[in-house]
Amino acid sequence: MTPRDAIAVAGRAMTAYRAALAAPERTARMAVVLGRLLGLAFLVCMGTGLYSHFLQDPLPWMVFPTRPVQLYQWTQGLHITAGIICFPLILGKLHVVYPQLFQTPPVRSFPHFLERASIALFVASSLVQITIGFINTVQWYQLFAFPFRQTHYALSFVVIGSLAVHIGVKLPVILRHWRTQPRKPVAATSGVTGRVHRWMDGSGTTSRRAFLATVGAGSAVVALTTAGQSFAPLQPLNLFAPRDPRVGPQGLPVNRTAEDAEVVQLAQSAGWTLSIVAGARRIVLDREALRELEQRTVDLPIACVEGWSRMATWTGVRLSDLLDLVEAPADARIRAVSLETNSSYGVSEIGPEFARDELTLVALELNGDELDIDHGYPARIISPGRPGVLQTKWLSRLEVIA
Amino acid sequence: MSTGTIAVAVTRIRIALIVVGVLVIGLGGIVLLNDVNPARYLGIVLWFAGALVIHDGLIAPVVLGVHLLLRRAGRRIPVAVILIVQGALVVAALMTALVVPEILKQGIGSANPTILPLDYAGNLLRFYAGLALVTAASIAVVLLRSRTARRADAPGRSGADAA
Repeated sequence: MTPRDAIAVAGRAMTAYRAALAAPERTARMAVVLGRLLGLAFLVCMGTGLYSHFLQDPLPWMVFPTRPVQLYQWTQGLHITAGIICFPLILGKLHVVYPQLFQTPPVRSFPHFLERASIALFVASSLVQITIGFINTVQWYQLFAFPFRQTHYALSFVVIGSLAVHIGVKLPVILRHWRTQPRKPVAATSGVTGRVHRWMDGSGTTSRRAFLATVGAGSAVVALTTAGQSFAPLQPLNLFAPRDPRVGPQGLPVNRTAEDAEVVQLAQSAGWTLSIVAGARRIVLDREALRELEQRTVDLPIACVEGWSRMATWTGVRLSDLLDLVEAPADARIRAVSLETNSSYGVSEIGPEFARDELTLVALELNGDELDIDHGYPARIISPGRPGVLQTKWLSRLEVIA
Repeated sequence: MSTGTIAVAVTRIRIALIVVGVLVIGLGGIVLLNDVNPARYLGIVLWFAGALVIHDGLIAPVVLGVHLLLRRAGRRIPVAVILIVQGALVVAALMTALVVPEILKQGIGSANPTILPLDYAGNLLRFYAGLALVTAASIAVVLLRSRTARRADAPGRSGADAA
């Protein structure tokens, strides 16, 4: 057999397989219907993801809202829940367009090659993006040999850029099928599958509705059985989320324990103090001194980048009061330094909108009791609308950034 | 607007989307080059290839195979019942794919006991049971309906004949 014959045979095999894949739900209209939903979910994930990213690494000019206090709890809960809904949606979408994989000839022209390459990039980056996102929430980092946060951030641009290219390429098809076409008599499924279907059940019955119902049911089930970790009213349905927001010391989950952070001894030391530094000015307060300052009690959620969150009651000193002691300017950024030195999260920066917010505390108590050591004893930052990773625990120093 | 101007507008939007898309992909590439150690690139490439192979080479053909088997069984069973069973199998497979990693990771252990605190294996079994019940109930409803419809159909047709 010459190579030319071999190619011809392979081509016929692909055509036959593609024909065998014909099914009533595999239509351009269905691709548009699911594509719209998936595109929307991707945009929600991108928007909420960028919001979370810039809260942690703001550009110099950025100012963030501090109300409603649940804002970050909602955006990140939405990020994680929309991300998990992408699984049924993308599997459904790929199911609809799967026969396109077996086009013959595989490549017709250079533009066609680019189109197919861009789709390969889009599909691969989307699948990897949602999968590593999910794996991150169960903290199974051994499964991938690359850093999660940086990779997830870089891939988000690849996914959204590929989405724009894909819409650009497919726009005529999308416009043609944006609305339902006036119903034509249902064409019997053609190709081998059509014949096989008719042989098997005596009909080429359409299953478009059943297909949509299945994708809808799958989306509803993944969302409802996991979103309880982010949205308290759904807690009774929380069968499968990686967290139960009620489970943990003092009824709150923990991401980094005092032991992981190697701060147990320092945090429990009787000699612990909090320094507040502004240039040459410096005030040192021990726990007693902090207790003697005016105590405030606020209700603020702790909300993790991994999606779980829970409302709690915190008592302590208003950060703004402490900054006034060293006459810090009202527009100053603040650096919060932890006893923890073995991680990049041992230091966080607090923009003036959060530092001067009346709800931002150096908290000493949680839900009426002294802070648990895993929640940051002797003192931690708690502020509205920010990810938990910035609510620095085991606080040791506050620096006014000049 | 005439069809011609619409066509021109659509072409312009397509070009804009493709140009912007390529630029944003490029931005992702730059972020990757800046933020991720080159020693890690191979891992990312392997994941990309793995995603395509696992979906296109494994998941999709298996779905096709199961679909054909069900249809084969469907020679004697009403199509609606097959479709319900098929849908339930898809939902069960989806939840299995998401929950089994949680069960495995729970077995390996986590940094602290507040990570993966639920009874995921037990909940998955309870979920299967619930899904089976809902599936059975849906099938019962469909079968009852088709029976009622057939019964209502018969006199109706004779009535029409009489008229």
